[in-house]
Amino acid sequence: MTPIDRRRFLGSGAAAAGLASLGLPLRSALAQSGEIVIGAAPPITGVFAFAGAGLHAGLGDWVEWKNGQGGIAGRKLRYVAEDSSYKVDQSVAIFKKIVAQYKPPLFYGDSTGWAKAIAPELSQLGSVLATGPSFASDLADPAKAPYYFMPGPTYSGQIEVLLEYVSRSAAGAAKPAVAFVYSDTEFGRDPIASGKAKAAKLGIPVVLEVVTKPGAVDVSAEVIKLRRAKPDFVIFHGYVLAPIPEFMRQMRDAGMNARGMGTIYTMDKTTIDQMGAAGAGFLGVMPYRYSFDTEKTPTMALIREVGSRKPNNPWQTTFYTQGWLVGMIFEQVLGRTLGAKKELTGPNMKAALESIGKWDTGGIFGVPIALKTHSIPVGRVYLVKGSTIVPNSDWITIG
Amino acid sequence: MRIGDFHASYRHDEALFDTRAQRVWLGLLLAALAAFPFVGGSYLTYLACLLGIHLIAAAGLNVMTGYTGLISLGHAAFMGVGCYAVAVAERAGIPFFLALPLAGAASAAIGLVVGIPSLRIKGLYFAVATLAAQFVLGFVFREWESVTGGVRGANVPAASLFGFELAGDRRVYFLIAPLAVLMLLGARNLFRTRVGRAFIAIRDRDISAEVLGISLFRYKLAAFAIGSFYAGVAGGLWGYFFRVATPELFGLPLSVFYLAAIIVGGLGSILGTILGATFMTLIPEFLRALVGWAEAFGLEQAGVYLAPLRQVVFGLLIVGFLVFEPHGLAEMWRRTRRFFHLWPFRT
Amino acid sequence: MSGAIDWLLLAEFSLVGLLSGGVLALIALGFVLVYKGTRVINFALGEFMMVGAYLFWTANVFLALPWWAALALTLAGVAALGALVERFVLRPLAGQPVISIVMATIGLGAVLHGLAEAVWGGANLSLPELLPRKPLLLGEILLPGQVLWSFALAVALIAAFTAYFRWSKDGVSMRAAASDPVTAYAMGIDVRRTQRLTWMFAGVTGAVAGIIVASMTSLSPSLGTVALGVLAVVILGGLDSIAGAIVAGLIVGLLESLTVAFVGGQARDLVPYLVVLVILMVRPYGLFGTRDIERL
Repeated sequence: MTPIDRRRFLGSGAAAAGLASLGLPLRSALAQSGEIVIGAAPPITGVFAFAGAGLHAGLGDWVEWKNGQGGIAGRKLRYVAEDSSYKVDQSVAIFKKIVAQYKPPLFYGDSTGWAKAIAPELSQLGSVLATGPSFASDLADPAKAPYYFMPGPTYSGQIEVLLEYVSRSAAGAAKPAVAFVYSDTEFGRDPIASGKAKAAKLGIPVVLEVVTKPGAVDVSAEVIKLRRAKPDFVIFHGYVLAPIPEFMRQMRDAGMNARGMGTIYTMDKTTIDQMGAAGAGFLGVMPYRYSFDTEKTPTMALIREVGSRKPNNPWQTTFYTQGWLVGMIFEQVLGRTLGAKKELTGPNMKAALESIGKWDTGGIFGVPIALKTHSIPVGRVYLVKGSTIVPNSDWITIG
Repeated sequence: MRIGDFHASYRHDEALFDTRAQRVWLGLLLAALAAFPFVGGSYLTYLACLLGIHLIAAAGLNVMTGYTGLISLGHAAFMGVGCYAVAVAERAGIPFFLALPLAGAASAAIGLVVGIPSLRIKGLYFAVATLAAQFVLGFVFREWESVTGGVRGANVPAASLFGFELAGDRRVYFLIAPLAVLMLLGARNLFRTRVGRAFIAIRDRDISAEVLGISLFRYKLAAFAIGSFYAGVAGGLWGYFFRVATPELFGLPLSVFYLAAIIVGGLGSILGTILGATFMTLIPEFLRALVGWAEAFGLEQAGVYLAPLRQVVFGLLIVGFLVFEPHGLAEMWRRTRRFFHLWPFRT
Repeated sequence: MSGAIDWLLLAEFSLVGLLSGGVLALIALGFVLVYKGTRVINFALGEFMMVGAYLFWTANVFLALPWWAALALTLAGVAALGALVERFVLRPLAGQPVISIVMATIGLGAVLHGLAEAVWGGANLSLPELLPRKPLLLGEILLPGQVLWSFALAVALIAAFTAYFRWSKDGVSMRAAASDPVTAYAMGIDVRRTQRLTWMFAGVTGAVAGIIVASMTSLSPSLGTVALGVLAVVILGGLDSIAGAIVAGLIVGLLESLTVAFVGGQARDLVPYLVVLVILMVRPYGLFGTRDIERL
């Protein structure tokens, strides 16, 4: 070996040692301290930022508040979150990193893509119970995705709530006609097949299905089709905002009277406000109570109290409520598992989750709920009226 | 200063690794690679797996684009073909050591079809044809539900060898790392052969190459087939690694990522492929650490700018390397090496 | 359904499609201008559109300037951006292989996209209604107002640009520099200036198209993705033919509308790419493009 080679050898050896040491620290330090870590990869930036910021703040504030109350079963919680920017590769990387470093029993994740990508690993790990902002119907499946649950009804469930509403609104024997407008994405297509089946069961004619890209697209040709199909209700799914307002405006321009309907990620007040005049009379399903609901409830009051302590905190949004609810479900899971003097393993936490039944959330839902199906099959239809959103149905439980 | 490196025979002159030092280094590198998952921790193992896949795919693209001069904006779609091929093969009960070559072959077959226009059109027009291929294949992934599972995607079972499941990053690492080494060596070796030199001749001036007796038809398609084969294998490994194949994974951004990797690393250089892919894989990690520090120093909103920052840095790297160092990191590496080799006589 | 109604439906979709093609043709013009002038495909055109629309939003909504002042500011802004890009990205790359130039504009697109997201955030914004929405009823056929007006606007702009290239001094020197830079240089034309002008004009057409698209849909950093589909359109017309760009824009608008009508929206984005693949197999230089003759 020449001297140069020796020098290079030493250098690379040092580099290798440095690399190796990167993965080791922190790992064992926490396991002893009794802290329970809640890992998270919420989409704080990127295309899902409109919701992600609220989800992150809600769950983070809940952890802070709970620690102020003394934690769970005498153990403090620790919230470790990193922004995923709603990119699957990044959220998967963050999940792996946090799981490797902190061994969290609970994880709040990212998109449907993320949930599907880590599902095999969750099953294999058997030590992490995960949830996230996705309500994809495949994921609410205790058999296939045993360690995943969602804090609300699946997208299919949401469409069912809307169809129930449509069915109940029928004055005579003839049911109103419905059209589905959905985006050409996993999100958009998720509930369509089951929605059509449900409509057939209820005797609601589905007069048209329209598939578009999400986002800024020209919808003139689509509106021509809608105008000819003459639906009474147009159900939009798989979008957040665009192109729903443009659809609504063009439908009005074309002299149509059909009512627009949306699902959870369209129905937050911040999104509805952006629709402007096009949003008037819009209907939609929302599983949670809005922060401005006229009926006063303890949990919503607590959210207001804790959330409004920080400036610029999006506590009024349904996303914050959703994040808070995730915290409350985590508390149930942890409390029930630790209360039974069991270890925080996947199977134990799964059993605890499934044992949640007739649970009163203190007002986030107007009815007691259960998580046996790894989802919460409850929703209520709201109406956009002036500058506010008001309930337009009872709490509808499906399935 | 490095001395005594005389090429005394043709064999020696053509050798892949011509000095003893290089061979020793290679041995050490292989040993380090074998030990890596045991000392590196699970997150670094995950990154290493990802890097291995990126290396194979980028090497394929460099064969097509860097060595043969055929721009492909559809490389990710070819990876997708490989990934779905593995999903289908596993469903049919084919073991991974057959499924991976099959994935490569399927991708190569599609590559041949897409490569046909390259015989008539060149440059920008051809780039747009590959862009079209990217979108058409993406459409097929989304719509051919019986095979690809549509927008919901297809699950890929773990690779298994005689009942031993290669599940979990550490086990998959021992599938990905040897393959990555083998395929990179293969690519390096290709350019010591007639075929490889024909590719370079076509890149430099295709009409001259034809005059010299190189069949454009055969060699352009061969370059496309080889590049797509690499993409297909990388896609197959992707499937075994992430265990799921969905259409949006294999979109235009990934194609652009690979082009960026070979440009930053150096077009027409296997060393450049390695450096570029490594660099581009680690950049997001570096930026994340940077934002973490910024937040620790009191810039609470820094995280909000991470995603845009990543894009800006990505774009600036591409433009910056093109303008200031068109031969990429490989050239910078060579310069540094030369400096040490000649030191202290020329500084 | 009877045959008569089918014909009506076909007519309605065809008309709406052709009219939507106007904006596509305007975007296509942005590609053709740059290619004719500098032999570069500007993959960042979509980002130029997006930046233009955001600048307009900032001036018109955020600063509450009247629309004409906002438009003037926007156009000045994107023209400056075009000039900067030409000077600092494309000029140093003159004479480099095609891949370098393609990737440079893609990289530029990423930079603009990231900057826009950093400055304006990722959420959807909406521009005020710039075009009258009142639909036109031709018997049973209904033509949405904004589609009609955007078509008229696109036609007027394309006509103005074409006239400018045909008759103005700058236009003539740009064409001269495009067809033979060396001779143009020898004849006293400042080729660098014409190339800068080309990029400025490309920025302006892009921004106008971006504002139209954003006002008809909504404004987000991904607004520019429309442009990639149009790029396929440009290939269809031939990269260096203005007439080709217009015809291609109309054809793709028509085909997209008919696809939505008879196949479904999921295939809509595919149409331009399928068409371009077929065209490239049959007529490699597009419908109207100039065929390069290569010599050793």
